[in-house]
Amino acid sequence: MKRIEVKLAVPVVAPLLDVIRALGEAPPVPPPGVNVPPDADPDLRGAWIGELAAAESTEVRALLALFDEAFFREGVVAFDAENAEVILRACSVLRLRLRESYLRAWGDDALESGDVEAGPFEPGGHKAMACFLFLATVQELILQHLGDNILTN
Amino acid sequence: MDAGRLLDAVSRDKTQVLPEEAERVATVGAWRVVVLNDPVNLMSYVVLVFRRVLGFDEATARRKMLEVHEQGRSVVWTGLREKAEAYAFTLQEWHLSAVVEADEAH
Repeated sequence: MKRIEVKLAVPVVAPLLDVIRALGEAPPVPPPGVNVPPDADPDLRGAWIGELAAAESTEVRALLALFDEAFFREGVVAFDAENAEVILRACSVLRLRLRESYLRAWGDDALESGDVEAGPFEPGGHKAMACFLFLATVQELILQHLGDNILTN
Repeated sequence: MDAGRLLDAVSRDKTQVLPEEAERVATVGAWRVVVLNDPVNLMSYVVLVFRRVLGFDEATARRKMLEVHEQGRSVVWTGLREKAEAYAFTLQEWHLSAVVEADEAH
């Protein structure tokens, strides 16, 4: 099984994990981007939102599980065909949550282009932006090295 | 849980649909799955999701991703409502902003 190991600077990453944990522990609200079809009956609406919220929770837990005691000793996280998909999705939803909670002031163009050298940060925004960029880097690594595995799963 | 099972589970206890009504529902117009632009998801991620969920080849996935990016939206699938809902749900599982719309052209 293809596997990539990434060495990270623990003192840099640890504060970002606090941001991720806080997002993961926030009161449940419909995940970003949820659009229930028009005229959906209450059962479908409830199941639709409930399933997506449960999936989000599973994804965030899977991401946080990477940063266990071994990570804090050695600074290494590993991605493989088994966890690539769930981690990729976790990064996506967390980046959406970060935008909702901390990064609105940046504007969509800045977030989309990645041109975030300067700008008005909301409280907690510096850490949130670092987290936003860190999660994008994780996604890029997975897409580059394990994208084919995800397509063939 | 995949979208098909979600929709099956939801419809299991519904009032029985008369055959003529089922036929009308099956033939009434088409529905579109539309993916909307967001400033967060990476282009390469969107391409992978289109390939994985919709079975697009690389070139089609890239073209559709660029439509989303440049025009703000792209129709990625058209057909019966139930299947359109299943695709929209699966795309939302991947955290893309996907909506189901009636296709007025049909």
